[in-house]
Amino acid sequence: MFDTLIAGLLRGNVYALGAVGVSLVFGVMNVVNFAQFSFFGLGAMLAWFFVVKLQLSFWVTLPLVLVICAALGLIINISVVRPLAKYLPLAAMLSTYAVSQILDNGSQLAFTAQFRVFPEVLPTSNLHIGNMRVGTSDIVMLAITAVVMVAMSVFLKYGRTGRAIRATAQDQEAALQMGIPVGAVQNLSFVIASALGGLAGIFFSLYIGVVNPTSGLNIGLTAFVAATLGGLGSLVGAVIGGFVLGILEAFGIYAFGDASRLIIVFVILILVLIVRPGGLLGRVPLISTEPLTGTFLGKGRPLRIPRWVWVAAFAVGGIVIPLVADNYILTTGTQVLIYAIIAAGFTVTAGQAGVLALGQAGPIAIGAYTSALLSVYAHIPFWAALPIAGLAAAIVASVLASPIWGVKGHYISIATLGLGIAIVAVIQLIVPNAVYDIPVPQIAGIPLNTPLAYYLIDFAVLMLTLLVMWRLRRSHLGRVISSVGSDETAALSVGVRVRDYKALAFAVSAFFAGIGGSLLAHQYTYIDTTIFTMLMSLLVVTIVILGGISLPYGAVIGSIILIGAMELLRFAPEWRIIVYGLVLILVVRFRPGGILVSNS
Amino acid sequence: MSRIIRRALFASTVATAAALALAGCSLAGATASTGGSGSATSTVYFGVSAAQTGQYAQYGEQFKQAFDLAVEQVNANGGINGHPVALKYEDSQSDPKQSVTVAQKFVGDSDVILVFGDYSSAASIPASPIYTSGKLLQYGFNNSNPDFTDKGSQYQWSSSTTTSDSYEWTADYIKKQGIDSVGVTYLNTSDWGIPAYQAFTAEAEKVGLKITAAEAVDPTSDDYRPLLTKAVAAHPQAFVHIGYGPDAAKLVTQLRAIGYQGTFYGGQDEQSFDGTPDAAGSIIGAQFIETNPDKNVQAFVTAFKKKYPDDADVTSFEAGAYDALNIAVAAAKAGGTTRAGILKGFGEITHVPSVVYGTVTFDPATRRILHPQFTPTILKDGKWVAYNG
Repeated sequence: MFDTLIAGLLRGNVYALGAVGVSLVFGVMNVVNFAQFSFFGLGAMLAWFFVVKLQLSFWVTLPLVLVICAALGLIINISVVRPLAKYLPLAAMLSTYAVSQILDNGSQLAFTAQFRVFPEVLPTSNLHIGNMRVGTSDIVMLAITAVVMVAMSVFLKYGRTGRAIRATAQDQEAALQMGIPVGAVQNLSFVIASALGGLAGIFFSLYIGVVNPTSGLNIGLTAFVAATLGGLGSLVGAVIGGFVLGILEAFGIYAFGDASRLIIVFVILILVLIVRPGGLLGRVPLISTEPLTGTFLGKGRPLRIPRWVWVAAFAVGGIVIPLVADNYILTTGTQVLIYAIIAAGFTVTAGQAGVLALGQAGPIAIGAYTSALLSVYAHIPFWAALPIAGLAAAIVASVLASPIWGVKGHYISIATLGLGIAIVAVIQLIVPNAVYDIPVPQIAGIPLNTPLAYYLIDFAVLMLTLLVMWRLRRSHLGRVISSVGSDETAALSVGVRVRDYKALAFAVSAFFAGIGGSLLAHQYTYIDTTIFTMLMSLLVVTIVILGGISLPYGAVIGSIILIGAMELLRFAPEWRIIVYGLVLILVVRFRPGGILVSNS
Repeated sequence: MSRIIRRALFASTVATAAALALAGCSLAGATASTGGSGSATSTVYFGVSAAQTGQYAQYGEQFKQAFDLAVEQVNANGGINGHPVALKYEDSQSDPKQSVTVAQKFVGDSDVILVFGDYSSAASIPASPIYTSGKLLQYGFNNSNPDFTDKGSQYQWSSSTTTSDSYEWTADYIKKQGIDSVGVTYLNTSDWGIPAYQAFTAEAEKVGLKITAAEAVDPTSDDYRPLLTKAVAAHPQAFVHIGYGPDAAKLVTQLRAIGYQGTFYGGQDEQSFDGTPDAAGSIIGAQFIETNPDKNVQAFVTAFKKKYPDDADVTSFEAGAYDALNIAVAAAKAGGTTRAGILKGFGEITHVPSVVYGTVTFDPATRRILHPQFTPTILKDGKWVAYNG
């Protein structure tokens, strides 16, 4: 009992440090900063490099890492985040994701991907508390956190600059009018957040003992949840969120096992958000439009696409490619098409209803497992399993998501992110083993298992998806859903039941995600839960944002670019992800509303 | 605009249906290029599908080092009957979305006569049907999941021991050490950890080894203390972890931190585990041991360290990849440098020299190696050495 509490405090300590950084940036810039995740891993690897390779003392390393992380943070903010955050937080979020990819892979190029043993710079097990051995190292970590937190809060409360930070967080425009240099304040916040990220990374490696460039992802995600739990933008909330989550998680793991860890984390988050939609200490967002998408829809107009382009695109995709392409291009094509189906369906939720759900891997997995299990164990043919998979995904995902539609703003993004991860974790508990020998589609006993056959099936499903999307958008229902996304308050005031329409939009998206999952399962003929990751969810979101968030056909373009580019960049394997990230940043920089949306 | 779309969609449905009907017969069949080499000294290509970036990149790097070394040595010794050997690497990130396209790329490249990989089951098995229909041998030299070959076709081969072999051995060995009760942690992954754990429990039950507590762990978690306190609450005599090196390193450190002193059966010959102070004294059943005095092993270790002076250890990952390349070369020598030839060669070769097993002979029925032997090894001063406990 006591041991578990100590373990919880120690992990809460790291979460708290990370969460403060997340909350700080969010507060002053209104941007969800994925690059924060990377600073954990980067801080850890830099510390390893200085201590082990350069033989520097730990006390020299500590400030050095903080300075490097701070400097990187400044560069990132000036070059990428700030130019976009000013008018499109959504584009800024997408570019922070690209930045995090670049940082992780840059770190891998510099330090290789090997897990490294972090040296014991301070004794780690010289003190006994009960059965638990703790060390000077743990005490020092807690003490440094305490000092940092106290210093931060004094600085924010009494310092001139600290007050400027708080003013900016409360109301950017008012702060600007009062003569606060908002740009400089944002830079400073980014610098502090990055340095805190690096510090958390060092602590994390001291505590855990082995690190590699990608080890920050998991702890970063939890820190993120901690910040949300505490209330985005509230620093005290972030600290409380970090410790609460650390301790509850420790007891949860003790009771239910590590396999349930992610389920525990997100159930805690969702429960808190249902009771307090603004987090423990956060303000309930006053503006009712989604801060990401609401501002977004007003910007830019979809490009007018001449009729001949539609015909030409169809002819190329449906006739020319199947006739001339080799199997490699067709196989790449199947992946592009399936993600286009999932993403096109997702535009109803993200674009029309204005809910930036980050957990599409959940419904995709439900569809894939439903379809796979039905055809393997109940011998239901693929053609029947496919629509059932869609329905199952729509129903299950909607039921699970039903409590969260009262949650607003970024909170709903984080809640759906959690929902996606928790769904996959639950599937893992129900179906512990992988599913093998999933039957391929057949017509009259002829197996359709060539790349061409898969391509044509996927192409036909995509056409149907686009048809449904197009009909939906032009229908009365579609316009109502769009009204929810454009201005929630206005929609509410004319009697639209906003929550229900959001849920409906989510169900439609989940249906197509399930269809996509089913197609994947029958083409891979094998699935296990490691396929349905958070990265898969992020890919879907990225595709949609890139193509134009409310344009179903934009999702096709986004999918071609994001999946096709990964193949095109094969000439430079080590640099592949870095170039990919740079391309993404450039596209977002010059077409922030999406490729098919003009800048206004 | 709407009419155009409707027409386009209608046309699309018609066209797709027509194409499906037309292609009907050819769709079912496979269009494989047989591959192979024309002139007497043309280069023989093997493909490598592995992670060069992303979360599994660590293993991709290790494989590449060993492959490159082995290729150098093979070519210095005259290649395959005079043909030089070269590798074509493709990064799959061990992601099925990419491993299937990589597979198709290799199948379409008639120069490639065999492909090594992929690393994880989730990336390898979805690619298997593509290799099979392309009649290209998929050599999953690292795939310890028995289903890779069990559920695969005649084109899936592996020289890795299976998880069921190694964890049945582990249960037997622990029992033989006079230990009656163990606490267990295993990776909560459907492609590897769970089947391995199932094999271990089945064998433990058979030999009468009591499992006091079994906890599934998420490999990406970092802090296992809360569940470890629970896992050792019943004071098991020893502790078993069914998993990889990095997670075992975290587990053993934290197990010692909560005051548990029993022997740790687990871990992996992998840099982070080998270098973890608390890992000393861990015991595993191994095939490759860096300190093995065998002259082939020492020649390999010396050559490896000469080529990569920065690497502290030569682990079983490098050894497995090094072996795999030499086995593929032996098969090509025996059967010929075409896709069909090398496949035939895999069924014929016997007693191929190996740094992992001594010699390797495949069982053509299971497409795994015959009678893999495990040697108990203990981690001492960061090196695994044979253990006669």
